[in-house]
Amino acid sequence: MPIVGANGLGFHVTELGAGPAVVMAHGLLIGTLASWYFTAAPALARAHRVRLYDLRGHGLSDKPKTGYDLATMSADLGALTADLDRFDLVGHSWGALVALRFAIDHPERVGRLAIVEAPLPPSRFADEQKLFASTPDEMIDALPPALRDAVAGGRRQAGKLLASLKFLAYESSLLADLRATGDFLDEDLAKIRAKTLLLYGSRSSCRGAGDRLATRIPGAELQILDGGHYLHLDAKDAISEALEAHLA
Amino acid sequence: MSSNEEILKTVEQLIGEIAGEELLLAHPIEMTTSFNADLELESIEFVALAEKLQQRYGERIDFVGWISNKSLDDIIALTVGDLVRFIESCRS
Repeated sequence: MPIVGANGLGFHVTELGAGPAVVMAHGLLIGTLASWYFTAAPALARAHRVRLYDLRGHGLSDKPKTGYDLATMSADLGALTADLDRFDLVGHSWGALVALRFAIDHPERVGRLAIVEAPLPPSRFADEQKLFASTPDEMIDALPPALRDAVAGGRRQAGKLLASLKFLAYESSLLADLRATGDFLDEDLAKIRAKTLLLYGSRSSCRGAGDRLATRIPGAELQILDGGHYLHLDAKDAISEALEAHLA
Repeated sequence: MSSNEEILKTVEQLIGEIAGEELLLAHPIEMTTSFNADLELESIEFVALAEKLQQRYGERIDFVGWISNKSLDDIIALTVGDLVRFIESCRS
């Protein structure tokens, strides 16, 4: 596996396709770069050089006990894209918040921005995550249906996923970092110059965040797709088409 | 050894490297073996397998192009044989 050193950690990074660069960040906990690899990334790779990476603590990247705040994770993104002059940026959930933070702090580096199901305020993510439930069975109940079914039929996958969730929820600073993360300021959102697409699910509890971002980010376009928070799983084709059109 | 047998051996060896040799002891790798239902590979382990196969067989193996037209259900249902035949088709 391609492992790239950044910020003192090893990150699993993979690239698909050729063309203008697009970087995609996945969501926390059950997300890995596979979230994009098996959904929207192959479609984008027809016309782009798509770079995917496992966030710290996830997938095949190193698993430090600290640094799950947006500033640190945005710095991870910066270090992993240091060789790219300017690129388009796509993120889901917490990965979308990392993308927002990066676009605000480094406007010169981001061409176009696609925000999928970013929760606002960020701290609400911790409160709403049933994955932080007290028992493994409750954790499994809180998974999206496609993943829950796969896990229910497989002890090995369930065991590995739960071990990862337990580390992140109980042995790392992730939960505390999420709760301590302040909301984005309207004046910061107004600074975003990247052409921005906001994608939210019709059945997602995060919908309100999409409405707020649409009014605060200059020129942002909000699209509601049929699905819930895990929009890349619920609406794989629709999200792929929307991203292809936005990044064309 | 036929080409398919050689590819099957390679896939087996790489699965062992990624997921651990004990998985191979519990689940002998055959053409009909399912990555999800039988081996219970995690999706990120399947990505790692694709990366290693690309490294082994080179750019001719357009794994991402192959899965780009598949639904999530199709991907979840993939067998070792599907993968072996795909690699064979890229080499011929």
